[in-house]
This record gives sequence, structure tokens and C-alpha cells, in this order.
Amino acid sequence: MAETADVVVVGGGIIGCSVVHHLAQLLPRSARLVLVDRGPIAGATSGSCMGHLMVTPDDAQEYAFSSASVRMWRELHERAPVFDYNPTGALYLADTPEDLELLPVLQQQFRDHGDEAFVLDPPQLREREPGLAHDLPGALYYPGDGVVLPMLGAGAMLREAMQQNVHVDVRPGCAVHGFDRDGDRVAAVHTGDGKIATRTVVNATGVWAPELAGMLGQPRLPIYPRAGNLAITGHHVTPIRTQLLEVSYLRFAHGVAQVDPTRTDGDPGGHAVNMQPQTHGGCLVGSTRQFRGMDRTLNRELLHRSLQRAQRYAPGLAAAPIVRTWVGLRPYAIDKHPLIGPWPPVRGLFIAAGHEGLGISLAPITGLLLAQQIAGLSPAIDHTPYLPARFAR
Amino acid sequence: MSGQGEARRIAGLGQRSGVAFTFDGEVIEARAGDTIAMALWVAGRQVLRASSRDGAPRSVFCNMGICYECLVVVDGATVRACTTVVHDGMRVERGGRP
Amino acid sequence: MNPERVIDAHVGVVGAGPGGMVAGAMLANAGVSVVVLDEGHRPGGQIFRQLPEGAANRGQIAEPPSHHQGQQLTGVFAGAGVAVRNGATVWDAKPGRLWFEQCGESWLLRCERIVLAPGAYDRCIPFPGWTLPGVLTAGALQVMVRGFGVVPGRRALVVGSGPLLLPTVTSLLSAGVKVVAALEASSRLGAVKALPGVIGNRSRLREAAWYARKLLAAGVRLRWGWTVFACEGDGRVQRAVIGKVGRDGRPRRDTARTIEVDVVGAGFGLVPSVELGLRLGCGSRFDAARGGHCLTVDAEQRTSVAGVFAAGEICGIGGAEVAMAEGQVAAAAILRDLRGTPVPDALRRRAAAERRASDAMLRAFAPLPGLHELAQPDTIVCRCEDVPLQRARQAAALHGSSLRAIKVGCRAGMGPCQARICGPSLQALATGRPVAMDVPVVQVPVKPVCSATIVSAPPG
Repeated sequence: MAETADVVVVGGGIIGCSVVHHLAQLLPRSARLVLVDRGPIAGATSGSCMGHLMVTPDDAQEYAFSSASVRMWRELHERAPVFDYNPTGALYLADTPEDLELLPVLQQQFRDHGDEAFVLDPPQLREREPGLAHDLPGALYYPGDGVVLPMLGAGAMLREAMQQNVHVDVRPGCAVHGFDRDGDRVAAVHTGDGKIATRTVVNATGVWAPELAGMLGQPRLPIYPRAGNLAITGHHVTPIRTQLLEVSYLRFAHGVAQVDPTRTDGDPGGHAVNMQPQTHGGCLVGSTRQFRGMDRTLNRELLHRSLQRAQRYAPGLAAAPIVRTWVGLRPYAIDKHPLIGPWPPVRGLFIAAGHEGLGISLAPITGLLLAQQIAGLSPAIDHTPYLPARFAR
Repeated sequence: MSGQGEARRIAGLGQRSGVAFTFDGEVIEARAGDTIAMALWVAGRQVLRASSRDGAPRSVFCNMGICYECLVVVDGATVRACTTVVHDGMRVERGGRP
Repeated sequence: MNPERVIDAHVGVVGAGPGGMVAGAMLANAGVSVVVLDEGHRPGGQIFRQLPEGAANRGQIAEPPSHHQGQQLTGVFAGAGVAVRNGATVWDAKPGRLWFEQCGESWLLRCERIVLAPGAYDRCIPFPGWTLPGVLTAGALQVMVRGFGVVPGRRALVVGSGPLLLPTVTSLLSAGVKVVAALEASSRLGAVKALPGVIGNRSRLREAAWYARKLLAAGVRLRWGWTVFACEGDGRVQRAVIGKVGRDGRPRRDTARTIEVDVVGAGFGLVPSVELGLRLGCGSRFDAARGGHCLTVDAEQRTSVAGVFAAGEICGIGGAEVAMAEGQVAAAAILRDLRGTPVPDALRRRAAAERRASDAMLRAFAPLPGLHELAQPDTIVCRCEDVPLQRARQAAALHGSSLRAIKVGCRAGMGPCQARICGPSLQALATGRPVAMDVPVVQVPVKPVCSATIVSAPPG
């Protein structure tokens, strides 16, 4: 007799783990959940990214969405302090007079949501972060952000899920080869470990989400890999203790891309500084962005420029040993909003993917919103901007 | 200290010109050509850093530049004590968490 | 002088141990421009390590017969006028290009051909207390005594497996250290069985006899089938718990006894330093007896990547004789490419014969899976990231049993040693199965270098 499951989650990255984490709490105690990934748990994008927990104050919806998720990360760490969580806050650094003018604007955005951020003059800035260059004109300090180690965070989510009364089966190294359909609805998943009969499948495969959708005969999902080159320092010298972002990072990272993501040769790539000190002393240095398909080879030139720029803000980085450099692929959704919810053309198919550079930060709220939709509960916050149906026409 | 230090040298290897450097502010005598790790070993200073998470004392381990256990800070730069030759006046600080 | 910090040579050799010195000298003597990059401060590598310049009375330190070869070779190497870059850390490579850091500066060597002879490092097997100051690798003690004339301690335990335990013991003896115990984990029976393969190789027999005499004279007995169960002490090693192991290396706890020591040298064989080869894209295979992942080479020491040759330990642990023979073959193969002169059969035959003898000897010291039972749940397995065994096991159970899965699941192997220390045992320890280790993914930098070095690397 074929194996059965109430829900099969495909993709063991941070999003898939969070979906399992919340389903385990919301589904009835007899439920059976299976998480499959063709590689390790948190071994692909979630194992090759940074760990910024970021509150984005752009508008009320974004603020509610992002701040709820960062709070959920904090609560997870309070319950299960088995993963590194560094409540460092974030310094938005100005480098030019134009940057400086943006600081009060950004501060006001936080204030509009009843939150607080602080404009620092050069002496205050040096006191907050002694590792900075001494000629910086100022910065905005937002205390609410943090840095996590996503791989260990993913593990913490799964371990908590396994302590619930539902049955949770985690299968790394188990690839999906295809699906059975019963009319317009999902009926079974074919995996390397055999067939699993199920009426609910979650596609949480990030940059591979279009590939999985293709197995169900669906048109290409508008999610495109956006490569980032990263470096990490050894844990012996910490050039900084607060997370750093240059002001231009917001424009660079959070706008809709100015290049065509469907092409793999047309993007020269760009960079803006984001440095993340980890609790044990290592420091992640990023970030670059470039559309060039699934290519994960290092772009030396882009990496060098990004490190050079980081050294401008944190001069101590120059003498810090770099232990590793690598490339991660962000799942960029074409309208810059993640896809969270059912995929109407195939009943029983749900999607949770397309968070670009904010997948770690937004994982808890994403898992909750999707689990609520699967369980037929009303969502915690307005989920309509993220419904995948917007692409299902 | 120097008496004990000489006991940690193989006798009869000949006199060599001395250099002095500081380790966490303390003056350490060494022989020209010594690595930081060997000069400190002779001086009885085995603990070179605190480990990254539990803060336990760590010392030279592979002595050939592989394990990075002996990382110390020299004039702001993190270096391997076992591959870095001491110079007169060098300022060496213990590595690891403050 | 060279503001671009770019140098050109026909051949770039990585490593100035026996293999690299032989290849470098042979090519230079044939008029080929060679640059040798070596992380050490003097040519010789680990096995032919030289005392610091100016150190008189070198005879003070007992040297086995083979060491005369080393002295001869360093002389030949010096006489050949090879350009050597000492203290050079090679951190990135592609065919025809070697990026290295030297004295805090970032350099590029452009060369049409590369000879990889980076040697090997000690295989570590975690046991309780192995992170205590005073517990070092066997190789570390060799460097102390023979490279710097430093006395490691007063009472030493030498423990591990393989032919390098004996030189560690004799070095300690000549430094006046009392060797309280010398423990070889393999069984004596295995050594006897391996004897026929070595018997035809006179230099190896002469070497073995020399060590036997030295140990006998000092009253040190090599105990077969013994190992260290734990090291203990307050802030540094003061005691070691030792005992017998079964034929598969499993500790027999009922035989445990405690000895007082102030220094421990542990080496469970060697691991080939293949990282640069993997970075270059060279093909490799797993050969447990030869120390793990080894580059695959043809009879002319050519790797799978055009223009990249490999000699010595990187092709599998074999010792200095193998490295020298293979270094000669690699140099001859390059001369063949340049001048059409065939690689002399005699050279190839010698290299093959040395490999056979060395493989025969290594059979006596095959890896013992039972030694992985020395580590307890709270024993640190990854020294860089302070990961205890139980966390590595949890990671393997949840994230997957691949090397990558274990790394992301607990961060073992993610620190500055880049898994050179924990990697060879990590998968077996975490999964509880004596598995062959996955091919490690080598990222840039191949060894850690500072950000400024990476940023200022000459393009190429």
C-alpha cells in the first residue's frame, strides 16, 4: 500500500521548514506531514545566504508583515536558543550629503508605524560602532533588526515541529520526480523514496519553484535566481559589532530590478554594503545582485568591489581573514512580492516562494500565513498581496 | 623566566641574536627566526586564544599552518602564530573573544 | 620593483618539500624558468625540515639515514638557482595562474604549467581532552624539535598510527624529553603481514632498523594495539588515559590506565592536501589506505586538467621517496611537452616501485573505524566552531548524512581550518558509519587570507 500524507512540503529550505513548523501546530494531532528535499535541509539558498532579520518600514502592509516575522524569530529563539541570534540592530550608513538627507526620511517611516529609529551624528555613531571609518557623516540606527544563522534556525523549527503531536517526517536527499493528478487536483507525489499519496502539496523550492511547477504542467512561475557573492571572516577578529547597511542598500535591494531578470546575460550586476556580525565573532560581508541564471561561480570582480566598498565603512575588515567566499541564488519574484498561498489552477497545490533577499527574515510569517490557509483558518495579517493567483491568469 | 625558557631549548644549538616582542603587553625574549608560537612556547605562554564559543583555552596544535588554532593579533591583523616569524618590537595580542 | 605584483615563469611549483624540490631543481637545471611557492620559511617541507639558519651543532638532533637525502636534496635545490617564494600562501588558482599572499602582499604567478606538491597534514581523531593546551599533532612536535630546537615538554605521550610515530619519538628523545609511552593503534599482526611488500625495499628496511635501535637504546617500547582514551588536566594536559584497542580500533575500556604527561603528540596517519588540486578542477578518488581523497594522475603525473601535474602526497600518502620519484617524473613530463624528450622508463619504474613499497607499508596502518568511538557526546569534533559530537550527530540525523548537510546542520568544518582537521573524520563520526568522506567543496580562498589580499589580487 502506498504511503500517504496529509501534506507533502517540497523544499527543505527555511521557507519549507517554517511551513512544517506552523502546520505541525495548526493541523489536527493525527496529521501526517512529510518534508522532502533533494539535498540537505537548509543546504541550498538557506545555507548560502546571510541572516538579516529586517523590518522594512516602506508602507503599513510591509511593516506589519516584516515586523511580525522578526518578532516570531525572536520568540523562537527565546523558546529554543539553539541557533545563533544576534540582536545587533542595524545601522543605515550615510556616505554622502544626499545619503544624510535620507536618514530623517527613513526615520519618519519607522515613526509612522509607531516604531523608533535614531539619527546619529558622527560622535554618536563612533560610540555605537567603534569599528567604523571616522569620516562618516552619520547614520540611522534601528534597534529592531538582528542576525540569525539560518541553517541552525531551520533545524530549530523542525525540531519544534517534531515535538508536536502530529507526525513529522523529514527526508533530506529525497528528490521529487513527478506528480499524479486526479482531475484538477493533486493526488500523489513521486519521490526517490517512492510514491506518497496526498491531497496537499506545498512548493517551497525557491529558485527551483518554476521547475517543480513545470512537473505539474503549469506555466513558468515568474521567479528568477538573483545571484549574490558573499564572504565570511574568521571568528577571531570581529571588525564590527552592529549590522551595517549603506543607505543606498534600500534602493538597491528593495526596488523592482532595473534589468530584465528573464535574461541571463544582460545584467552587469551591482552591490551595496551589508555586513552582519554573528554572535560567535564571524562577520558576513555582502551584498551583490546579478541575474545570470543558475550560475553559481564566483564573480570575482563584483565580489572584490563589494569587499572594497565594505572596507571603506569598516576599515578593520581589510586585515580580517576571509575564510570563505561563495554564491547564493535568491528567488526573485518579478513584482518583488513573495508568492504565498494556493495555486488555483491545481487544487491542493500551494506555493511559498519568491522572497528574494528576505526569505530568512520573512520565513516565520510566511510559514504561518500558508499553514493558516491550508488549515482553513483566517490569516494573521492581510495576505492578499502575496497570493500567487495574481500570476495564474 | 629566562632560565626556565632556556630549559625549553635544546642545548648546544648555538647562540643566536635575540629579539624582544610583547604578548598582551608583557615583554618576551625570543631568538631571531623563531615563530611567535615557538617563542611563546619557550616562554611558557602556551595559551594563545580563547575558543570562539565556549571560551576555552587553546594553544598551538598543528604547528604548520593548517589548523588555525594559534591565531593571534599582530598590529591589528589576525595571523597564525606558528607561521609568523617574530620581529623586534612586535606587538602580539591573544586571539579570540575579548 | 614590481608594482603590479605579477611574476611570470614557465612552471609554478607549489610546495618545497621533497617532490617540489626535485621537480623544481630538475626543471631549473634543464633551463626552464621555475618559481616555487612554499608556505614554509625554508625549503624542505615537513619531512626534510631544516633547523633555522645559524643553528650550530645540527648533529645534536638524531636524524635517520633518509635525512641525508634531504640534506643532499636541499643542497641540489639551492644550487639549481630556483626562484623560491617562502612564506607564500597560495589561496586561489586556475590553470596557468596561482594567486598567493606573501608578507601581507597579494601576488599573481602566471605560469603555463603547474606542479602541485603541497604535501600532507596529520590525520586527527577526536578524543576527550584533545583541545587542551599541550595536546598537539605528532607533526607539530616534529616541527618544534627539528625546525626550532624547542623542547616540547618533560614527559611525552606519542600516540596514533603509522610510520611517522617513530620519527616523532626519536626527535623527542634527542630533545631530552622522556617518552612515557609510544602507542600504535594498529595491531602488530598487521605489520607482520605487510612485511613482505616492504622487504625488497632496502632503504625502508634500513630506516626501520635505525628507529628500532634508537628506541631500544632509550628503553622506549612501541606498544601495538594501544591508544589514548582521553587527556585530562586543569587548563593544560597533565594526565592521559591510555588503553588497549581491538583489531578494529575499538577501545577496550577495561584496560584503561592513567599516566602523567605534560605533552602529547597525536597523529593517526596523514591526509593528502588536495584542496588546491580540487580548486583547479583536478579529478580525485577516495583511497582510504592512502589517506583519503587523492588526485588521480597518469603515469607521467598529469592530472585530469591540462597543464597541471601532481607529485607526492597529493596523489596519496607515500612518503618522501615516492614524492621525489614522482617529482622527477612530473619534471620529465614537462620537459617532454617542451622538448619532445621522452620520460625515461627508469624514472617511471622507480616511481611505480616506490608507490608499491609505500602502499604495502600503509596496509599495516589501515584506518581503524573503531577509533571513532574514542569521542564522547560532549567531545569537541570541530575545534574551529566548538561543535561537540552530539551536535554533529543531530545534524546528520536531521539535515542529511552528506558532508554538506552535516556542515550546514551544525557548522562543523565552517571555520578557518576549512575542515582540514575535522573533515576527514566528520562524516564517520556524525553518521556512526565508517563512510568514505564526500569530496570536499573547495571555495576561495583555499586558505584564509585577509580581505585586503583578495581585494588587491592582480587580475588574471
